[in-house]
Amino acid sequence: MPEKENVEPSSLDPEAKAELDRAFEDLYRTHLRDVYSYAYYRVGNQHDAEDLTEQAFLQAYRHFDRARRESDGRPLRPWLIRIAHNLASNYYRDRSRRPQTSLETADPIVARHGTEAIAEGREELRQVMAHLDRLSDDRREALIMRFALGMDNREIARALGRSDGATKVLIHRAIKQLQEEMGDDE
Amino acid sequence: MSEANRGFAGSSWNVEHLLSDALRPIEPPERLSGRFEDTLAAVTQAAAEELSDWAEELSESELRALRDPRNWVRPVVAMGAGGAAAGALVVLELRRRGRREAKVGLRSLADRIRP
Repeated sequence: MPEKENVEPSSLDPEAKAELDRAFEDLYRTHLRDVYSYAYYRVGNQHDAEDLTEQAFLQAYRHFDRARRESDGRPLRPWLIRIAHNLASNYYRDRSRRPQTSLETADPIVARHGTEAIAEGREELRQVMAHLDRLSDDRREALIMRFALGMDNREIARALGRSDGATKVLIHRAIKQLQEEMGDDE
Repeated sequence: MSEANRGFAGSSWNVEHLLSDALRPIEPPERLSGRFEDTLAAVTQAAAEELSDWAEELSESELRALRDPRNWVRPVVAMGAGGAAAGALVVLELRRRGRREAKVGLRSLADRIRP
C-alpha cells in the first residue's frame, strides 16, 4: 500500500483544523491518564513519566490527522500507547539505563492505596511488583497495559505490533510465570 | 481484608487479583496539561521567530528566488514546527477545563477520605 502523506495540522483549512483540534482535545482528555500511567510504570518515576507523556502527545498531535484517517474508526488508544512505548524504548536506548526507580519501590504503591491497604497488603503488592519488574520487557508491558490501563487483547496486540493470538499467549505466559515464581517464594 | 480476598486463595496466589490491585491507573499531576501547553507555545514562538527572522533577511533577489519551489524547504520546516505547536489553542481550552474538573476531582477525593 502506498504510504499516505502526513498532513501537517497547519496545512489544513481552518474549518478542518478546528475539527481536528477538537478531536485531539478529546483524545488528550480521554487518554492522558492512560499514557501517563503507562509511562510511569515504564520509567518508574514521576519526572520522566511527565516528559514521556508530553513527548508522546506532541508526537501524536503531529501525526493525528493521518492516524485518524488510517484508523477506520477504531479506537486510537493503542496507537497512542504505541507512541509512548516507542519513546520509552528510545529513552532506555539513548540513555543506556533502566528505570531509576524499580517498580518494586515506585511511589504509587504507597500513594495509590489507602492506609488500610498499605498495612494489610503492602507486602503482597511489593512482592508482585518485584516479580513483575523481573519479567521480560514484552511480558511486563503487556501486563501493564492489561491491568493498569484495562486494555483488551486486541488493543494490546495493536499497541505491541503483534497478532491477537501471540498477545493472548504472551499474557497467559506472563501470568503463569508470576504465579509460579510467587509460589516458589512461599 | 483477608489473604483470600487479597490474592492468596488456597495454596496459590491469585496473581490477576494482585496485579489489579498493584497496577492501578495513576492520575497525572495537574501541572502536566499546563506544561504541555507551554511546550507547544514555545515551539510556536520559535517557529514564528524563525519565519520572521528569515523574512527580514530576504533581499529582492531572494524574494524572487522564493518563487522556485526548490527553495521552500526552510519555511516549510518552520511551518511544520508551528503546525505541531498550533495545538496551543487546544490546550488552552484543556487547561481551562482542567481547572474546572480539578474541583470535581478534589470533591471526589474528599468523598473517598470521608469514613
